[in-house]
Amino acid sequence: MLTHFSAVLLFSLFTSIVFGITQRAQPRMMIRFGAFCFAIFVGSTIVVSWLMYAVKH
Amino acid sequence: MATEAQQIAQRVPGEKSSFPALVLLAGWLIPGAGHLLVGKWVRAALLFVSILGMYLVGIGLQGKIYSTSTGEILDLLGFAGQLGLGLLYVLARVMSWGASTVTIALGDYGTKFLVVGGLLNLIAAVDAHSLANGRKASA
Repeated sequence: MLTHFSAVLLFSLFTSIVFGITQRAQPRMMIRFGAFCFAIFVGSTIVVSWLMYAVKH
Repeated sequence: MATEAQQIAQRVPGEKSSFPALVLLAGWLIPGAGHLLVGKWVRAALLFVSILGMYLVGIGLQGKIYSTSTGEILDLLGFAGQLGLGLLYVLARVMSWGASTVTIALGDYGTKFLVVGGLLNLIAAVDAHSLANGRKASA
């Protein structure tokens, strides 16, 4: 069974691959944009999670 | 100066052709098939794996498979998103995969995986269409 965080990682990975391929024309830029999207997805999830933790405590 | 043979091979702006529509339809029905038709097999494989992965995770988490039977607007929106999965959506309906209602928290995540997977497949199909009609540069 997936944990919440592993679900986030899979969602971010698959979505970033599609965004990278479809939103850029050059292969090098596809990889860069895909990595950027992945970092933003995972990073923002971690930041928002800590914010929710801070609100609760 | 282009030769006559080169002029025939070049795509004429505004030219009517059924190939881009075929690519769009194939890309919608089978994830990555549109890119395969335009010769981008690496992209096709990555798109297939990614969208199939979203689908399998969604099914595995017992995500809800939407239908039009309830008539509620949010269900219709979910149905429209999941319809983007093409034949994968039909397969889930025929095989009765997924869930009719969400009963666990992770099931709600599964529903989101399925809806987003469908929307990503539509984006991929439109991208393949843009490659086929020359609107997007083919690198």
